[in-house]
Amino acid sequence: MKKLKKPNVWILATVVALTTALAGCSGNSNGEGGSTKPSPTNTAKAGEKDNAGESEDAPWVFGSEPLEFTAYTHYGWQDFPEKMEDVPLWKYLKENKQLNIKSIQAKGNHAQLMSTMMASGDLPELIYGDRYNPDIERLIDNGKIVALDPYLDKYPNLKKWLDPQLMDLLRSKDGKLYKFPNWYTNKSTNTAGYVVNKKIYNELDQPPLQTMDDLYAYLGKVKEKYGDEVVPFEPDRTVDGQGIGVLYTGFAEGNNYKSLSSDVQGVIKDNKLTSLFMDPSFRESQKFVSKLYREKLISQDMFTQDRGKVLEKLMTGRVAVYAGSGPTTYASQAHNELIKTDPEAGYFMIKPIHKAGLDQSNIHPGGYDRLGWNITTITTKAKDPEKIFAFLDWLTGPEGMTIQFFGPEGGNWKGFDENEQPIFTDQYDPAQVTEIQALNDRVMIVGNTSYIDPAKMKYENAKPPEEQNWSARYQSTITWPSANDITALNNKLNPEPDSELGDIRQKILDLITQVLAESATASSDEKVDQILDKAQADAESYGYNKLLEWRTEQWLENKKTLGME
Amino acid sequence: MRLKRLGAADRAMVICIYVFLVLLSFSALYPFWNTLVVSLNEGMDTAKGGVTFWPRVLTWTNYDIVFGDKNLLNAFWISISRTVVGTVSATLVTAMLAYGMTKSYLMGRKFYTFFFVFTMYFGGGLIPTFLLIKSLGLMNNFLVFIIPALVSVWNMIVFRTFFKGLPAGLEESAQIDGCSNWGIFAKIILPLSGPVIATLGLFTAVAHWNDWFLPTIYIFDQQLMPVQSLLRRLLNANLISEQMGIDSNTVERMSKKSITSKSLVSATIMVVTLPIIAVYPFVQKYFVKGVMVGSMKE
Amino acid sequence: MPQAATEQPYNRPDRRHDRKPFLSRLMKQLDVQLMVWPSIIIIFVFAYIPMYGVLTAFMDYNLFTGARIFDNPWVGFKHFAAFFDAPDFGTILRNTIVISLLKFVIGFPAPILLALMLNEVRHMLFKRFVQTITYLPHFMSWVIVGGVVMSLLSTENGSINIMLQKTGAIDESINFLSIKDYFWTILVSTNVWKEIGFSSIVYLAAIAGVDQHMYEAADIDGASKFKQIYLITVPSIMPVIIIFMILAAGNLLNAGFEDILILAQNPLLRPVSDVIDTYVYRVGLQNQKYSYAVAVGLFKAIISIGLLTLANYLARRSGNSLW
Repeated sequence: MKKLKKPNVWILATVVALTTALAGCSGNSNGEGGSTKPSPTNTAKAGEKDNAGESEDAPWVFGSEPLEFTAYTHYGWQDFPEKMEDVPLWKYLKENKQLNIKSIQAKGNHAQLMSTMMASGDLPELIYGDRYNPDIERLIDNGKIVALDPYLDKYPNLKKWLDPQLMDLLRSKDGKLYKFPNWYTNKSTNTAGYVVNKKIYNELDQPPLQTMDDLYAYLGKVKEKYGDEVVPFEPDRTVDGQGIGVLYTGFAEGNNYKSLSSDVQGVIKDNKLTSLFMDPSFRESQKFVSKLYREKLISQDMFTQDRGKVLEKLMTGRVAVYAGSGPTTYASQAHNELIKTDPEAGYFMIKPIHKAGLDQSNIHPGGYDRLGWNITTITTKAKDPEKIFAFLDWLTGPEGMTIQFFGPEGGNWKGFDENEQPIFTDQYDPAQVTEIQALNDRVMIVGNTSYIDPAKMKYENAKPPEEQNWSARYQSTITWPSANDITALNNKLNPEPDSELGDIRQKILDLITQVLAESATASSDEKVDQILDKAQADAESYGYNKLLEWRTEQWLENKKTLGME
Repeated sequence: MRLKRLGAADRAMVICIYVFLVLLSFSALYPFWNTLVVSLNEGMDTAKGGVTFWPRVLTWTNYDIVFGDKNLLNAFWISISRTVVGTVSATLVTAMLAYGMTKSYLMGRKFYTFFFVFTMYFGGGLIPTFLLIKSLGLMNNFLVFIIPALVSVWNMIVFRTFFKGLPAGLEESAQIDGCSNWGIFAKIILPLSGPVIATLGLFTAVAHWNDWFLPTIYIFDQQLMPVQSLLRRLLNANLISEQMGIDSNTVERMSKKSITSKSLVSATIMVVTLPIIAVYPFVQKYFVKGVMVGSMKE
Repeated sequence: MPQAATEQPYNRPDRRHDRKPFLSRLMKQLDVQLMVWPSIIIIFVFAYIPMYGVLTAFMDYNLFTGARIFDNPWVGFKHFAAFFDAPDFGTILRNTIVISLLKFVIGFPAPILLALMLNEVRHMLFKRFVQTITYLPHFMSWVIVGGVVMSLLSTENGSINIMLQKTGAIDESINFLSIKDYFWTILVSTNVWKEIGFSSIVYLAAIAGVDQHMYEAADIDGASKFKQIYLITVPSIMPVIIIFMILAAGNLLNAGFEDILILAQNPLLRPVSDVIDTYVYRVGLQNQKYSYAVAVGLFKAIISIGLLTLANYLARRSGNSLW
C-alpha cells in the first residue's frame, strides 16, 4: 500500500499541470463564441456549485473505507460475475480494496428486465452498456443518471487520460457528462482487414495482392487449383457487412466501412452525407462482389452461415483470403492451430487491397472511434455516487489498468517506470497473463486503451516478430496503421427511436440490409444497377434525404466539437 | 403375433409404418446425438467441424467445467422443486376447475368459459404484470414460480374435453351410491383419467422446467435461480452474436471476441435437458390401453 | 356408431330448468362452484388486473411512470397507424397468414397421423423407443436445430447437396436457404419435424381412452386395420381434434418467431419470411417502443378472438365447442 501512494501523488501533480495546460488550449480553440455548449471547465464548475461544500472535501480514497453497490450489464450475451471471487480483478478488489459489488444479471433477457426496472424505479446503482443504447439515453433524459462533472476535477485519471474534446463529444444534450467511456484511446484500435492463407499463397507462387484485379486473378487461380476444397474469398457473416464492407473501402479513397452500417447509412461527399445507393464506388464494389458470387469465388453461404462455420473453415485451412471487421480473433486462433502440424501453414495479413490507380495510404478497411466502445453510468439510486466514481477513476488509471491486465503487483510486474508503465518482472508468465485478461474481460468497464496498449506492446515488442503474438503483430503492422479516425462519424448520428427520423432510420436499415444481399448476389452488373436504382427510389420515398441532412448536421457538429474543421 | 392374421394390404401398411417410424426416429435423434457427441469432444477440435456421429477427441473437460459451477446443484434443486410443486398443484387445480366446468347446470358456465378463454389471447403486457407481482410481494419469492401458473386455460379445455368423453354411467351410479361431486372427482374421475393427467402433467412439468423468462424478471437471489438461467445466457450469447443483428457497434465488437466453445454449450445443454427428457419414459406407462375399460367392468 | 363423439352425459334436465331463486340455486350447486372459484380468483388477479396495460397502446407510454399510466399523453391510434403504415405491411401480413396456415395444414394433422401409426405398433419396446426419440427435438433449442438444418443445406459440404449431386439430380449446389421458393417448405417441415413427437402425446392419451371392445368386435367382423382406424379410432378422438382445431384458429397471427429468425438469416428472404412477430421485434422491441409493441399485441388479440369465435361457431354444429 505504501508503495502505491507515491505514484498517486505524482500523478495528481501531473494532472493538475496537464489540466491547466489543456484548459488553456481548448479555451483558445473554442474561442469563437456563439457555441451554446458549455466548455468542460464551465460545466464542471456549475456542477461544483450544485454540490456545494461536498467538493471542497478531500477526494475519497478508493479502498480506504468499505464500498458496496449494485451493478448491471445491459447486454443479452454478457453479465457481471455472480460473485466477487469469480474473476481475478474483483477478487483482488474484495480482498484489498474493501469493495463489494452485487451483480444484477440479465441472464439473456436484458431488454425486458430493463423495462421492468424502469417502471418500478428499482434501478441498479451502476449500469454498463452501449454508448448510445436507447434505454440508457432514456434514463439520462428522465434524470436517472448522475452527472459526472462535479467529480472530474477531484479525481485525476479520467481527466488526465480522456482528451477533453472527446469528453465534450460524449456530453449529452444538456452539456453534462453522464457516461464514463470504455476503451477510449488516442490512436487506432482497428482490426479490420484481409487475412491470407500462407500455404495456398506459397503454392500459387506468391502473386501480388495489391489491387482488386490482383485479388480477382488470385481467387480465380485458387478456384482453378483447389476446386471446391477451398473457399477462395471468405467474407465472414455478410449480414453484418463484414467482408463486403471491407471490399467496398477499396473502391475509392476515403471510403468508410461505416457507410453501410445502421449508424451512418450514407457516404461522405463534399463534406455532406449522401446516398449510399448512388455512390459509384458502392455500385462498383457490389458489382465486383456479385461477380465473385456468380463465379463462385466467394463463399456461397455468406448470408446464411453462422460464425462457427467461418471459424471451422479457417481452422481447417480451407480459406484462401478472409476479410472482415475483426478477422484477427479467428485468424489467430486458426493460425496457432494450423502451425501445430505444419509450420509452413497458417495465415498472415496484407495491406488493404484497392482498385488499381488509387493511393493505398488513403484506403481504410476499418475506422476507429477514439471514444472506444461502450460506457458505464452511475444512477441516481447510488447511495454514494462520488465513491463509485472514485472507484471507476481508480480503475481507469495506471494501477487499476495494470492490475486488470497483469494481475496484482508483485507477480508479473512490480512498480512503474518513468512513463507510469508497469515494470515487468522475471516471473512474467505470458500464459497466466492471457488467462487473467480473458477472465477479467467482462469486468473491464472503463478501459483506458491509451494507457494499456503501450504496456501490452512493451512486452510484445521486446520479442522478434516471429515470436510475437499473431494478433499483436498484425495489429501493430497492418490493421492499426491502415485505419482512419471515424470518431466524428460514429457518435450521435442515431436519431431518437420514437421520432420521425428514427422511423426513417429503421426503414432505411431494413432496406440496406436487403439491398446489400440482393445486389451482392445479383445475376449481372445491370441487375446491380437496377436493384440500387429501385432502392434509391424507395429510400427517397421513406425520407432518406431528411435523415441524411440531419446526420450531416450532427456530423459537422461533432467535427466542430473535436476541433477537426 | 397379430401380423400373421392381417391381410396383405394391412401387412403392407404396417411395414410402411415401421419404415417411416425408423426414419423419423433417426432424424429426430440426430441433433440430440450430435449435441451429446460434441459435448464429449474437445472444444478446439470441435471448431474444426466434422464432428458428427462420434467424438474425435474424447474428453470430459466440458462436463468438468459445467459441474464445476458451484451454483449448479442448488439450481437443480430449485428446478426440481419448482417442477414438482408446480406440476402437482397446477394439475390438481386445473383438473378440478375442468371437472366443475363439465357440469352443464353450472351457473355462469358460458360466462366462465369466455372469462378463461379470453385470457389466452389477451393480456396486459409485461409492465403491469410485473408491477402486480411486485405489489403482491412475490418478487424474489419461490411462490412466483407456482401461484401465477396454477391455472392453465389450455389444460383446462383439454381436461374438460377428456372428462366429457368418460362414460356417463359411472358417475350416475356413484351418485346413487351417495357420492358428492368432490367424491366423484377424487374417486372416479381422477383415477380414470390416467392418460390425460399424465399428458398434461408432462406438459406442465416441461413448461416449468424449460421456463427461463420468469426468473430473469422476478428473481434476483442466486439461491432461487433454476438451471435454465444458466443455459439461457450461454445460448443467447451465441444467438445474439450470430443470429440476431444488434446495433452494428456491438456486432463489430463481438466479432473481435471469441465466444464460448460449442462443446461447452453442448455440455450445458445436455446437463440441463437430460433430466426432463428422462421423465417421459416413466409417463408412457399411463398410455396403456384399456385402463379405463377395465375399471368400468368392476 | 361409436358413442364417444356425441354423448352428452351431463345434461340433467331436473337441475337445468330449476326455477328456484338465484341464491338457493347457487347454494345447491355450491360444491361445484367451489371447484371453479379458486381458478376464477387466480385468473382474475394474474390475467385481468394487469389488463389496464392495454390502454398504453393508445398512449405514448413513458416507462418511468410505472403504474401511473394516466400521466401519459393519449395519442389515439398513432401506434396502430404506424404499424399499418409499415412499408411492407401487406407482405408481412400475407407471410404471417400463409406461414401459420401452412403450419396448421401440415403441422396439425401430422401428430395425429403419428399417434395413429404408433397405435399400430405392437412391439411395446419399439413403440416406447420411437415415442421417446421423436419427442427429443422439442427440447432442442432453435439455435441447435437451426445449426443442424443449416449445415445439412449448406452449399459447402452440405449433406443434401452432396446427395443430390451424387444421385445426379442436380449439377451444381443449390443455396437452399437463400432461395425464396424453398423457404416456406424448409420452415414448415423443420417445424413439423421438431414438434411432431411432442404434439402427438395428447392424441396418444386420447387413443388410450378408446373402448377396446369396439376393436374386438371389428376384428370379428373382419374389418381391415385401415377401416378400424377410420371407423373407430378417428371418430373416438374427434372431440379432442376439434377442440384443438378451434384453439389453433385463434393462433393464426402467431406464425413463429425464433424459428424464422434463425432459418431466414439471409435478408433476401425477408419478402417471404418477415412476419408480424419478427417485424415487431426488429422495429419495436429492439428500440424499446413499448406502446407500439402493446398496440401490435392488441391488434393480434382482437383478430385472434374474432377467429376463435368464428371457429367455435362453425364447430358447434359438430357438437363440440369451447362454449
